Amino acid sequence: MILFALIVGLLGIARSLEPLFVQAHVQQELSTHIWEIAILSVPMAMIIITAGIDLSIGGMMALCAITVGMSYQSGLSPWLGSLLGVAVATLCGALNGLVVTRVRVHPLIVTLATMAAFRGAAEGLSKAKPVSSFPDSFAWLGQGIVFGLPVAAWVFLVLFLACLGFLSFSPWGKQCYAIGHNEVASRFAGVRVDRVLLWLYTFSGFCAGIAAVLFVARRNTAKADIGMGIELLVITAVVIGGVSIFGGRGHLIGTTLGVLLIHETREFVSWRWSRDELNFVVIGSLLIISVLLHRWFTPSSGRESSDH
Amino acid sequence: MSAMSKGMRILLLLGRERSYGIAALMLATVLTVTLVSPQFLSLGNIKDLLVQAAPVAMIACGVMMVVLTGEIDISVGSMMGLLAAVLGVLSSPSHFGWPVPVACVAVVFLGAGLGALNGVLVAFGRVPSIIVTLGMLTLLKGVTEIVLGGEWVTDLPDPLRVLGTGAVAGVPISVVTAGVVIVITGAVLNLTAFGRRVYAVGSNQEAARYAGIPVRAIKLLTFLWTGVLVGLAVLVSAPQLSVIDSGFGHGAELVVVTCVVVGGVAISGGVGTLSGVVTASVLMTMISTVLIFLKLGEDATYWSRAIQGFFILAAVLLDHVVRQTEASSAGGAV
Repeated sequence: MILFALIVGLLGIARSLEPLFVQAHVQQELSTHIWEIAILSVPMAMIIITAGIDLSIGGMMALCAITVGMSYQSGLSPWLGSLLGVAVATLCGALNGLVVTRVRVHPLIVTLATMAAFRGAAEGLSKAKPVSSFPDSFAWLGQGIVFGLPVAAWVFLVLFLACLGFLSFSPWGKQCYAIGHNEVASRFAGVRVDRVLLWLYTFSGFCAGIAAVLFVARRNTAKADIGMGIELLVITAVVIGGVSIFGGRGHLIGTTLGVLLIHETREFVSWRWSRDELNFVVIGSLLIISVLLHRWFTPSSGRESSDH
Repeated sequence: MSAMSKGMRILLLLGRERSYGIAALMLATVLTVTLVSPQFLSLGNIKDLLVQAAPVAMIACGVMMVVLTGEIDISVGSMMGLLAAVLGVLSSPSHFGWPVPVACVAVVFLGAGLGALNGVLVAFGRVPSIIVTLGMLTLLKGVTEIVLGGEWVTDLPDPLRVLGTGAVAGVPISVVTAGVVIVITGAVLNLTAFGRRVYAVGSNQEAARYAGIPVRAIKLLTFLWTGVLVGLAVLVSAPQLSVIDSGFGHGAELVVVTCVVVGGVAISGGVGTLSGVVTASVLMTMISTVLIFLKLGEDATYWSRAIQGFFILAAVLLDHVVRQTEASSAGGAV
């Protein structure tokens, strides 16, 4: 609710400062950027609920984009290439999951390493050269409108509803929260922690693949630098959306509002001051301040000591 | 488990004494590369290598302490960028034109201030260090661009350039500085009560608190010290370049964390030695230059980031194997 008020407040201020900004068609125009972040925020929220994190989403996006680009260059149709790309990203996610569950290393370190490994592999394979000029039929995926909404929006809605149902009503959803609250206790309670985590990280790779395909189709170019730094935006959105970074708390509706708030803030800052570097400052401070406030207003417990 | 193979025992030794393992790896790398291009072992190249490794090793000394207390600092890359930009803007005659010593002191103090800000937010604001420093990584990148305003600082004064290019008795200033920092860090970690407390906080925070150790102050100090070291590293590395742009230090956080993790510091805190971290810093720098010496062509340089990532993964996996084998040889007790 506070988030909702914040968004309305932001739009109100925006309206008084820049009346053009809040008009419907401008918002629709600007909304093309939001969907990839929204799609990525769904698995990220679920992973953070289990007290994990996935920093490698940008790297997986890059590998997927490169797969699409290179398979198109070698004569495959971009659709087939996209399938391949999503498969590659899903495998990358599975690799994250395997290392996290089998080797029992903190996901922060695992995904920090794979973030570099995946992005580096994409740079190495493509020699940092872009592939562009995909056929128009493929560009529809990124630019087409179906029933008044972009294709990417429908993809997000399906994902969102499926995962919302999964988290709220399925036993596995409850298990995600249980793992985040206390992994050891969950293990003793019979939760198959490793299996749940493996699936979640794999799912994160899958979603990164989907987001990358949509991004490539929208920009009509595949390059190894796509999604650079997107993990920060997504994590910020999820954390602002009320998911506790220590796990066990939060839900997807809040996450979506968090995405919306981040999106409107960024677009407004760009619109008003037309300086992108200001956005770095705003997003960075938003992340720190939101967690700081969250910590101040929740009573302290012993849990903080075991995490970092 | 007397049947444990000789190879396994060597692997265990290399894994447990991390600096031995790294030294072995370094030796193997040097031998291979020297076979392909003998000039790799030339004095000039070794000097270049140490000059490149110096800032990494210095910052790794600080981040290592942070990680030993169970926290992490991934803001150092952007911090380097900002401090380099500030150093350039303060000292260049076409901007502020401050005297070089004053600008240098200001940069180190700014580094200390930024480190302290990280530390206060983590220790007293109770915000997880990964969130604080991730936020700082972004925030400071933005501030750097604002400070530079999309321009490059090209007119660094000569006294400043000397810091980057000068030498003391034939040894480059950056290498001397790194040596001093390493000796101080080693002394602090191994000989002082503060050093033991750093390890204590990382091994068991609750126990350390009950034992009367000021956990928060210790954490704050490790972040502050990291900021100071970033400042020093910038002073001796940024003036090596004739131009300072907003890309300085980009991605350094990953290199530094790689060195710390490959160097054998447990990310959960409490375990790790300085010798491991320092040798890892030299090894990681060596690997990035090896690609050029192996004459694989220009294409090979695109793979350097991938190799860094795989190195962290390999270090993590090696740790796992060592722990598992030790556990099973100790009678299956975990």
